[in-house]
Amino acid sequence: MIAAIREAVAERLGSCDGVVALRRRNGGVAPHLFQKGDELAEMELSPRYPLMTVVSRLHKAFPAIRLGVVARGCDERAYVEMAKRNQIDPTRLEIIGFACTAEEAQACYCREPSPKHPVAGTPPAPGPPNPLVAKYDSLPLEERRSFWKKQFSKCIKCYGCRNICPECFCEACAMEDMAWVEPGLLAPPFPTFHLIRAMHMASRCVACRECEHTCPAYIPLTVLYDLMRRDIADLLGYIPGADIEAQQPLSLSLEQAPLKK
Amino acid sequence: MEYQNTLTTCIYCGCGCSMYVETIDGRITGVWPDKTNQISGGRLCIKGWNVTGFVGHPDRLKNPLLRKEGKLVEVTWDEALSQVAEKLSGIKRESGADSIGLMTSAKCTNEENYLMNKFARAVLGTNNIDHCARL
Amino acid sequence: MTNSIPELETDSRCILIMGSNTSEGHPLIASRIVKAKERGARVIVIDPRDIQIARLADMYIPFRPGADVAVLNGLMNVIISEGLEDKEFIAARTEAYAEMKAVVEKYTPERVQEISGVPADMLREAARLYARNKPAAIVYAMGITQHTTGVDNVKSIANLAMLTGNLGIAGAGVNPLRGQNNVQGACDMGGLPNVYPGYQAVTSPDAQKKFQDAWGGTADTVVGLTVMEMVNGVGDGTLRALYVMGENPMVADPDLHHARHCLEKAEFLVVQDIFLTETAQLAHVVLPGGAFVEKDGTFTGTDRRVQRVRKVVNPPGNAMADWEITCRLAQRLGAGGFDFASPKEVMEEIARLTPSYGGISYERLEELGFLHWPCPAADHPGTPYLHKGKFSRGQGQFHAVEFKEPAESPDQDYPLTLTTGRLMFHFHTGSMTRRSEKLHQEVPEAYVEIHPDDAARISFKRGQRVRVHSRRGQIELDVRVTKRIKPGVVFIPFHFAEAAANVLTHAAIDPTAKIPEYKVCAVKMETIGVKEAKSQGPS
Ligand code: SF4
Ligand code: SF4
Ligand code: SF4
Repeated sequence: MIAAIREAVAERLGSCDGVVALRRRNGGVAPHLFQKGDELAEMELSPRYPLMTVVSRLHKAFPAIRLGVVARGCDERAYVEMAKRNQIDPTRLEIIGFACTAEEAQACYCREPSPKHPVAGTPPAPGPPNPLVAKYDSLPLEERRSFWKKQFSKCIKCYGCRNICPECFCEACAMEDMAWVEPGLLAPPFPTFHLIRAMHMASRCVACRECEHTCPAYIPLTVLYDLMRRDIADLLGYIPGADIEAQQPLSLSLEQAPLKK
Repeated sequence: MEYQNTLTTCIYCGCGCSMYVETIDGRITGVWPDKTNQISGGRLCIKGWNVTGFVGHPDRLKNPLLRKEGKLVEVTWDEALSQVAEKLSGIKRESGADSIGLMTSAKCTNEENYLMNKFARAVLGTNNIDHCARL
Repeated sequence: MTNSIPELETDSRCILIMGSNTSEGHPLIASRIVKAKERGARVIVIDPRDIQIARLADMYIPFRPGADVAVLNGLMNVIISEGLEDKEFIAARTEAYAEMKAVVEKYTPERVQEISGVPADMLREAARLYARNKPAAIVYAMGITQHTTGVDNVKSIANLAMLTGNLGIAGAGVNPLRGQNNVQGACDMGGLPNVYPGYQAVTSPDAQKKFQDAWGGTADTVVGLTVMEMVNGVGDGTLRALYVMGENPMVADPDLHHARHCLEKAEFLVVQDIFLTETAQLAHVVLPGGAFVEKDGTFTGTDRRVQRVRKVVNPPGNAMADWEITCRLAQRLGAGGFDFASPKEVMEEIARLTPSYGGISYERLEELGFLHWPCPAADHPGTPYLHKGKFSRGQGQFHAVEFKEPAESPDQDYPLTLTTGRLMFHFHTGSMTRRSEKLHQEVPEAYVEIHPDDAARISFKRGQRVRVHSRRGQIELDVRVTKRIKPGVVFIPFHFAEAAANVLTHAAIDPTAKIPEYKVCAVKMETIGVKEAKSQGPS
């Protein structure tokens, strides 16, 4: 598979100024901007990093460049929501997509484990839904609160969940706003610190699961975001990352996007 | 148009988390946790995520300083190093190497600590070298 | 550390945390403990403060600061009287058990309760939990070592691990967490008055000859001065020059007024740092060093893991990487052996002269990412855990340790016990973290944590500040009232120069390790009304 992707990248290097992908570096793997003449043998596909954030930073730093990016399903979904919010210029980006393996789709509970037009890999069956969501659904109301209270009491306020999230890009973050969250406390105040982010992820979260993977307290954050995605789909008929033409419901007036039911 | 990620190790606690420092055209633009690190596995604390936060601070010292008439003033490396060399060799000559002490640093690299140890013992000739391990 | 960090997560069945606010001091080790707990490991936290990690523990045991030896002896008393010790391990691998046992027998849970405030039954339960879940790891930090009895505390911890056979196996061991990122490396590299790199004793004529030959010159076989002795030395004039690289004793030293007084008297003070720290302000010469992103090198983590540091950008202005400054200065003094083109070449020399680093090279680190020392040869895989099969010094030695009161206990005039420590959001003397916007905004100023009962006793009202006095000085600061601390105990983080906790602390030091007693001293407190303008730290 990687051979086909390398070939596609080599081809794009003819028409683009560079291609964002992963590269083996210093004994590890990190995001990299491949340019003409670079050794494509060092290119890697795993572990995942939020490459669309890299694209966004480069688009902002260099307003004229055209980029390619090697993308999985989650990267493409992230791109869709970022483009709608002017974080990426779609006219200056070409996606070189590839499908994840069935195992990867399982591990990520990924419902769309492939970009729309992969140049490599065969789209596998979607992964199962996050089993913790069903477990959570079965809890009575008061236990749900204590579930989160217990989980969030482990939080060490690293802000990693926000920093790694491709959909978190506000200049001033409400999680750092003293009016909402008293600074300097460990664990941070419950539930405001986490609910601010959860609310802001409504209609944005594309279920890439980066936040959960980077959480040093092992908090099952995507249970919260999966529930939010479910509500946004049920109430507003919107699936973040699915369609670049669909308007984001939370920036429309109530008449334009009437609540279902 | 230059984009780089360079792997390095956190300077704060001794957990030994590693991270990539991201630069665009030589300017530091962010930090990516190293997902292959055995300790941190792509996780960091708030200090690790902000490990470069002080690097470009305007308070950074940019030139050697020498106290002249009670005040610290900027001087060249040449002047500063001659002053230190002269004073240290003078004191060593007059009072012996053991009248000089050195504090090395738990924030500096192994190589730098090794060189300080070598400097104290081989160049000055004293075992008066320690660092704030105890603090 | 006798074991490596990942073992906590994969192997330990019990983790006993004592004197380590792990979540704040070593967050990613705490992260491993969270994971271990979720896997089913039992966690016991023994600490004067109800720290974050205590809330996920199976058992949290608060106790009076300074009573560590009593608590540890109490745990061993229970283990022995209930027959939970590892008799085979004791017979085969240790010495002096009987002497230790004789002392420990006196520390019945009831007596320990009297000394430390730990309920006897709680102590019994903790002892059983630790002894019955093997492998069990003990994790500790400065809360154990920063006492006049620091060495006794460490010996007691080693006793407890040996008593239960928790040494030399994966997931067990005695695991001190070092305070700063490269304390381990600074010690390994001979940044100590008594040893050359690799802990080769300066008192050994063989070691002296080895380095004499390699370097073409070296010091005599007499142990040099420690940090505290050097500070005192410049104060009384016995030390005429002091060269400080990257340290800030003006905030870090205990009894700061005394430290300032001494350093002000220095005949010649050179400070090499990246900021004009409180110490640099007193210097005669200040040399601008490089930050970690401005140089190549290696750090050694708390579990003896050697990893690379890599240059990303150039130092600002005319600042220079510290390794380069030392080389230039040595050459100024006419010394040979300092013509290194890069830190890589320095590591080659380190590997030649330091047996435990013999197999470490930049080439291997590039390929493997890290290596644990001891790593004696280029084909050696490194050593994740020590003391397998036998101890480095042969048989494990038990020590009979009696409890001693801290150098200064609360009394009528100074009725509170002050303990100092770290915060998640800052590092050491704050010179870097307080200049990092995202960290500074979390905790911009010093504060003292006090229990609601003590707050009531001084009629504290919200918004007021307090003045905290000890026999050595006084500071003013904000207050956080919290039940996380025991009544009668107050906590102050030591990162803040303008309200430096170390103005108050005691310079009494442990007679062997010479570690100052930061963790306990006696203070009193009074309210001083509402603060007007916010005092500003560096911004
Ligand atoms: S899964 Fe987490 S990181 Fe990914 S988009 Fe959703 S909130 Fe952001
Ligand atoms: S990543 Fe986890 S620990 Fe860090 S702020 Fe988010 S929830 Fe808290
Ligand atoms: S990121 Fe945090 S836990 Fe990791 S080494 Fe740095 S300070 Fe320690």
